[in-house]
Amino acid sequence: MTLADLHNLIPYMLLSMGACFLLLVGAFMRKPGPWALNILGAIIALAAGVSAICIQPSRAEIGNLLTYDAFGRFFTAASSFMACISLLFASGYSTRRPIGGEEFPSLALFAAFGMSLLASSTSLLGVFLGLESMSLSLYVMLAANKSDPLSGEAGLKYLIVGAISTAFFAYGLALIYADSGTLSLADSVSALSGGAGAAKISGIGLAGWAMLIVGLGFKTSLFPFHLWAPDVYQGGPAPTVGFISTASKASVFAVFLKFTGAVGAPWSELSHVLWVMAALTMVFGNIAALTQNNIKRLLAYSSIAQMGYVLVALIAAPESGQSSAIFYLVAYAAMELCAFGAISSFSGKDGELGDIRELRGAGFKYPLRSAALSIALVSLAGLPPTAGFIAKFGIFYSAMNSGYVWLSITGILTAIVSVYYYLRVVVYLYMRGGEKIEKAAVFPAADIPSGIALAALSITVVYLGIFPGKLLSLIASIARLAV
Amino acid sequence: MNGALTFIAFLPGLCALTLLFEKNPKVIRWLTLFVTSFELAICLLLYWLCWHGIFSGRTLFKIDHPWIARFGIHYALMMDGISLPLVTLTALLFALSVLVSWRQINERVSLFHIMLLFLETGIMGVFLSADLFLFYLFWEIMLIPMFFLIGVFGHGRRVYSAVKFFVFTITGSLFMLLSIIGVYIIHGRETGVYDFMLQDLAHTSASPMLSGILFLGFLMGFAVKVPLFPLHTWLPDAHTDAPTAGSVILAGLLLKTGAYGLIRVAFPLFPQAAAAFLPLIFTISVIGIFYAAWIAFAQKDMKRLIAYSSVSHLAYVILGIAVWNDVSLAGSVLQMVNHGITTGALFIMIGMMDERMHTRDISAYGGLWNRAPVMSAFFLFFILSSLGLPGLNNFAGEFLILTGVFRAHPWLCAAGFAGMVTTLIYLLSLAQKILFGPAKEYHGFNDLSGRELAVLIPLAALVVFIGIYPSAVLKLLDAPIRNMVNTATISSVGGVLP
Repeated sequence: MTLADLHNLIPYMLLSMGACFLLLVGAFMRKPGPWALNILGAIIALAAGVSAICIQPSRAEIGNLLTYDAFGRFFTAASSFMACISLLFASGYSTRRPIGGEEFPSLALFAAFGMSLLASSTSLLGVFLGLESMSLSLYVMLAANKSDPLSGEAGLKYLIVGAISTAFFAYGLALIYADSGTLSLADSVSALSGGAGAAKISGIGLAGWAMLIVGLGFKTSLFPFHLWAPDVYQGGPAPTVGFISTASKASVFAVFLKFTGAVGAPWSELSHVLWVMAALTMVFGNIAALTQNNIKRLLAYSSIAQMGYVLVALIAAPESGQSSAIFYLVAYAAMELCAFGAISSFSGKDGELGDIRELRGAGFKYPLRSAALSIALVSLAGLPPTAGFIAKFGIFYSAMNSGYVWLSITGILTAIVSVYYYLRVVVYLYMRGGEKIEKAAVFPAADIPSGIALAALSITVVYLGIFPGKLLSLIASIARLAV
Repeated sequence: MNGALTFIAFLPGLCALTLLFEKNPKVIRWLTLFVTSFELAICLLLYWLCWHGIFSGRTLFKIDHPWIARFGIHYALMMDGISLPLVTLTALLFALSVLVSWRQINERVSLFHIMLLFLETGIMGVFLSADLFLFYLFWEIMLIPMFFLIGVFGHGRRVYSAVKFFVFTITGSLFMLLSIIGVYIIHGRETGVYDFMLQDLAHTSASPMLSGILFLGFLMGFAVKVPLFPLHTWLPDAHTDAPTAGSVILAGLLLKTGAYGLIRVAFPLFPQAAAAFLPLIFTISVIGIFYAAWIAFAQKDMKRLIAYSSVSHLAYVILGIAVWNDVSLAGSVLQMVNHGITTGALFIMIGMMDERMHTRDISAYGGLWNRAPVMSAFFLFFILSSLGLPGLNNFAGEFLILTGVFRAHPWLCAAGFAGMVTTLIYLLSLAQKILFGPAKEYHGFNDLSGRELAVLIPLAALVVFIGIYPSAVLKLLDAPIRNMVNTATISSVGGVLP
C-alpha cells in the first residue's frame, strides 16, 4: 500500500470516512435536524461520485482485492449518485416521518461504500465483504422508522431473507474455493466456462456457483427468490426502498456482469437455468403487479419484472448484452428513484402514500410531482421518448442478436401486460375524479431537496431517451473491462 | 429548405413546452392557433412550391444526421410527394381542431393544448421519418397525447376507451418493434452495416419464412392503427368518447399513419412476404368493408356510425395499397387525404350538434333542415362527399382505387363496388333521419356561427376542389409512386383469387 494507492481510494474513503464523520457530527452537535444531516450526507456522496469520475487510476489492482478500472469507477460513481439522490429525498421525508437522525445518512454512505466494493472487487472475498457491508446497512435503514410497525416488519423480513442469502453465498464461496483453489474472480469464472488452462469444472464447483446465484438472486429479487420484495417495499420508508430497489440491485448485477465478462461465451452450464429464471421473473412480476392497489407493492412487482429484463441481457452477454444491461440499469435507476422520490414526497405525517386511489386528481393539484411520477412510470413501461424505451430496445436487440428469440417474445408479451398497470396509476393521477380538484387528497407540500432531485431525475430520464448516444458509447467502452 | 423538415416536425412540440408556463386560457388558445396556423402556412408554401415544380424529384427534401452512433441510428427526415399532402392535411386539421375546441374545452386548457401540440409533432414525425427507428419513436410518441385527450377531455366511458385505445395500439406496435429489430439484425449481418435507414433496409434478403414472420409483425402494428377488420374494436369506443378535436385527429390522421406505414415500410421492405399475405389482406379488407357498413347501419350514436364508416372506408385504402400498382396506390393516398377532410368535417359537425343538443343520439334529431338550414346543408354536403358523389373528393379517390384493383383482380373490384352500395344505405339513412322528417324540439338551437363557418368553409372548398381537380394531389404522387412500384414488385400469388 503506497500513497498512490490512497489516491486511488479517495472515493471509497470519502464514503466510509464521511459516514463516520456524519456519526460524529450527529453525536456532538444536537442542533442540526435530521434534514440537515441528510443533506450533508448527500453532499458527501456527491463528492465521492464526482471523485470516482475524475480521478484517473494509477494502478490496476490493489491488494488482490480491488481493481480501480473504468467498470468499478462507473459503478462507484453510480451508487454514490444514487445514495446522494436517496438522501435528498430522505431530507424532506425526515421532517415529516421519524427515520432517525445521523444514523440514516451515515448508513446510506456505508451501504454505498459496500456497493462500490462489490463492483470493483477482483476476488470473491471482496464481493462477500461488499455484499455484507451493503446489506447490514440496508437492514437498519429499512427499520429506521421506529414508530411504524410496518417499517420494523420490513427490516426484519429483509434481514431474515438476507441472512439466508448470505448463507447460500458463503457456502457457495466455500465450495468454489474447495474446487478451484482460488478466490480470484477471473480464475474461478474461467474454470466455470472451461476456459483456457482451466480444469473442467467438477460437480462441487458447479454446486458452489449455483449457490452463489441463489444468493445473488435473492438480492436482486429474481424468480423464485422474489417473495420478500412486496412486503419489504410496502413497509420500508420510501427513500430507503428507492435506494434498495436501485442501487443494491444495480451493484449486485455488476457482480453478475463480472461473472459473464470474464468468459468468452455465455456460461454454458448455467445459462439454461438463467433462461428459465429470466422468463419466469418477467412473467410473474408483470402479472402479479396487475392486481396491486398499493403503489409500493405495485412497484415491487414491477421491479421484479424489470430485473427479469436485465437478466435477459445478461444471458445474451457477452456479445452486446453487457452494455445493454448496464444501460438498462442506469435508466432503471433514474426512473425507479424518480418514482420512489415522488412517493416519498407524497408521504406525510399520517402515513406513506399507499393505495393508488389516493392519487385521484393529484395530477392537477400537484402538477409537478405528478408529472415526475408519470414520466417515471411511462419510462418504466418502456415508452419513448424516455430512457426506458432505449433501454428496452437495447435488451431486445441483444437478446435477438444472440438468438434468444423466444425470450424476446416473452419479454414483449409481458411488456404489453406491464403497460396496463403503469397506465393505471397515470389514470388515477389525471383521469379519475379529476373534475373536483378540491376533493383530491391532501399531500404535504413539496420540499426543496426532493424537488431538485425529482427535476434532475425526470430530466435525466427524458434526456437519456432522446440523446443516449454518449452514455451508450461510454458504457460500451467499460463493458469490455467487466473483470 | 431541408431544415424546414426539422422545423415542421418540432415546432409544435417546442411551443408546447412554452405553454407549460402559461395560465390564461385565452392566451393559450390564441398562441396554439397561431402556432398551428403558422405550421399550416409553411406546409402550404412548400406545397405550392413543389406543385409548381420548383422543388422536384423523388424526394423533395431530406436531412440526415447521425444520432445514436452505437446502434447506427440516424436522425433522418425525408419528404416526398406522398408525405407532403399528408403533412399538409395534418397541419390543416390541427389548426381546425384548435378552432373547434375553442368553446368546448374550458377546463385544463393548457394541458389540452400541450397534448394537442405534442400529438402534432408525433404525427408529423411519422409522416416525415426516413429512419425506421425514428419512425417507431414518433409512432409511439403519438400514443400518450391521444391517451390524455380521450381520457381527460372525453366523455362517457372515457377512461375505458382511452385505456383500450392504448393497449390495442401498444400491443400492435411492440410486435412491430420486434420485427424492426429483426430486420435491423438481418440487414446488419448481411451487409456489415448496422443502420435503420429505410432505403437501405429495403434490400434485405431474408428467407421467405423469416421475412413472412417479420412482415406479420409490421402488419400487426399497422393493422391495429388502420384499423383492419378483426382489430378495429377499439376505434368506435375511442371515437365516441373522445372530444371533437380528438375524433377529428383520430379519424383524420391517426388512422392514416397505419396506412402510410404499410405504404412506406411494410410493403417496400418485404415485397415477397407481402405477396404471400395478399389473400389474407384482401379477405379481411373485403370483410371489413361489408361488416363495418352493416354494423354502422345499426348504430344509434352518430359518432359511432361515422367511426364504423371509417373502418369501411379505410378498408378500401388498404385494398388499393395491397394491389400495389400505380393507379391504385395513387388512389389510396388521395383517398387518405379525402377521408381526412370529409370524416374530419363530419366529426366537427357532430361536435357542433352535440354542443347545442348535448346528445348524439340519432333519434333525438329530425327535421333539422327547418331549424338550421345552413348547418343542414353543410352536413348533407359532407355526407354526399363521404358516400362518393361524383364531382366531390371521395369519388376521385375511390374511383382510382377501384380502377387499379380492376386491373389486377376484377372480382375484388366488383366486391368493392357492392360495398359502396352499402355505404350509400347507412349514410343516406343518417341524413334522412337527422335532416328531414317531422321536426323535433330544438331549444336555443342556433345556426352556424362565424367561427364555425370559418372551420367548415375551407373543408367544403377542399371537397369540391379535389373533387373536380384531383391532379392538385395526384401530380405530386406521380413520381414517388412510380418509383415505389418499380423498385418493389409485389407479384400476387395465383390460385386463391383470379
